[in-house]
Amino acid sequence: MKRPGPIRESVTTIGQDGTRPFLQPAIVFGSWWKARRAVAWLLIAFFAALPWIEIEGFPAVFLDVEHRRFHLFGTTLGLGDLWLLFFVITGWGFLIYATTAFLGRIWCGWTCPQTVYLEHVFRVLDRLFEGDHVSRAKLDAQPWSDPSKLLRRGGRMIAYLVFCWAVAHIFRAYFISIPGLYPMITDAPLAHPAAFVAMAVATGALFFNFWWFREQLCLIICPYGRLQSALIDDDSVIVGYDEKRGEPRGKAAPGVPAGDCVDCHRCVQVCPTGIDIRQGLQMECIACTACVDACDDVMTKLKRPTGLIRYASLRELDGGKTRFLRPRTFLYTAMLAVGLVVATVSVLRVQPAGFKLSRAPQTELYAVSAGSVANVFRAKIQNKDEVPRRFFISAESAGTKVAVLNQSAGMVIEPQAEIALPLTVLVDRQDYRGEFNFTLRLRSEDGKISLLQKAHFIGPDPRTLQK
Amino acid sequence: MSDDPQRDPRPVIMPHAYDGIQEYDQSLPNWWLFTLFSSIAFAFLYWLANFVTGTVADDRVALNAELAALEARQLAAVKNLDEATLWKMSRNAKTVADGQAVYASLCFSCHGPTLAGIKGVGFRLNDDLWVHGNTAMAVFGNINEGIVFEGKPTGMASQKALGTERVAAVTAYLLSLQKEGAMRAINRKDEPSQSTP
Repeated sequence: MKRPGPIRESVTTIGQDGTRPFLQPAIVFGSWWKARRAVAWLLIAFFAALPWIEIEGFPAVFLDVEHRRFHLFGTTLGLGDLWLLFFVITGWGFLIYATTAFLGRIWCGWTCPQTVYLEHVFRVLDRLFEGDHVSRAKLDAQPWSDPSKLLRRGGRMIAYLVFCWAVAHIFRAYFISIPGLYPMITDAPLAHPAAFVAMAVATGALFFNFWWFREQLCLIICPYGRLQSALIDDDSVIVGYDEKRGEPRGKAAPGVPAGDCVDCHRCVQVCPTGIDIRQGLQMECIACTACVDACDDVMTKLKRPTGLIRYASLRELDGGKTRFLRPRTFLYTAMLAVGLVVATVSVLRVQPAGFKLSRAPQTELYAVSAGSVANVFRAKIQNKDEVPRRFFISAESAGTKVAVLNQSAGMVIEPQAEIALPLTVLVDRQDYRGEFNFTLRLRSEDGKISLLQKAHFIGPDPRTLQK
Repeated sequence: MSDDPQRDPRPVIMPHAYDGIQEYDQSLPNWWLFTLFSSIAFAFLYWLANFVTGTVADDRVALNAELAALEARQLAAVKNLDEATLWKMSRNAKTVADGQAVYASLCFSCHGPTLAGIKGVGFRLNDDLWVHGNTAMAVFGNINEGIVFEGKPTGMASQKALGTERVAAVTAYLLSLQKEGAMRAINRKDEPSQSTP
């Protein structure tokens, strides 16, 4: 290799003239790689299985944007429950903060879809069609007129397209469900032109990403990658090179002491983002552990202890001891715990009905008749469920006897419908002792739903009624 | 990365410094510049198509065209309404139910949930006494265009809020409680509705 090695000052995959040097990293099937592959396959299986699993009549995850209904593991949320997304997003943020403070970019190396699909699907196809990194680099240099390149790279391109097509379809199934997707696949493209174009664009975008764009996404686009310098400190566990043990690198000779690093460049060859991990923690590093496997492999062959490159904090690599308990981890974990509790409680409290109350517009505040004092309210009742339901409304008060007019029969509300209902609340004249607070209860016939709304009863000075 | 092994791969530091901060002279990725220049080109084409050549129709033009079409439909629907049609509608259960739903969402607030009227606000509507005209078309007109009382509109004009179809439905609901030819005209001072629910 005549090429100069990676340097810290520049990104390896951005050329000095702005072109894109394309990496062909080597692979080491080490123990970390095996563990990562197991996690990746589990995640892919999970992603592909969710739309097929049915819970209470709907796919486990079905984000029905068209009808603004979001089915999540048996719970159905409507657009009115969108506020819950706040907790999902902040919860996700806290989770990322906390994990990064403890374990660095563990997300990037193990679970990010970009890594999972690139390393465990598409690079597998690279090796299958074009061989190892040496023959792939040779193929890069060959002209397209070479029939062997056309065959091998063309074959890989078709395989890429098939997989991208499949991933795009699974992704689409999350939004239109498998029964919704099936006719779109079997019918002619012109029967669903919009869906066909969307699918073609998605397949094309995935293909571009995995075929050409690859690590550029992590280096330049991913916002999480950009936050690393703020999220990681000296005690976060990262993938690092033990400089104290490794340096000076090279061969020992009489009078020339040498560390454990033999400068074999194996760690550079396997790096998917093209850095030299021995230059320290760098923003390109996605903590994929490829260099750990590579170095361990070499050290084992040399009968030296492994772990020259390993999971360790900067403090540990400097000879100290990692402190897991520090203000940052306490704060992030506490925020994560709060977020989790709030999110869980709010999701569990979501009821398949909505009940809102306001004073009826353009009416008198109260009306007094021979027998009673009345207030008119306007209730908005929503049935968010998939079945029609009969609802009853009743008034409850600790002090004054209060009743709702004409609501004994209740009302049936169609699925996903909302009605506006005038409610006349009555108090007998002889019971009326001045203004008071009371509660209106919306109850479903099956007793599963019970929602409360507080209200205030307005009336005249009771002395004016005593005649 | 240069393929020339002789060349120092280290980037050049630019001569300027701000607060002691210096920068390297490095290229942006070409693909990144491509997205930048394409978005500039797109902005220019967008401006041309939307604001210069008018190739893409202005949203306001499309909106006005649709509003005009809607108004034309409403006007045509009003033209086709007459006494006989309204009375016929008032005997159709579906129309009456639709009208009742509309009543329950708006009209009730002045005329009471039970049509009994609210003192000083809205007349009683479940008796056969009518102040502002005792025909089906008069009732329809009152709901559609509203009533001016002592020089002030009363907020009843519902054409804009509801549209002809629903105004007709509410009319049908009110007529469903009446007998054709039995609606009596009275003066405002004789309206007995000033009671409460």
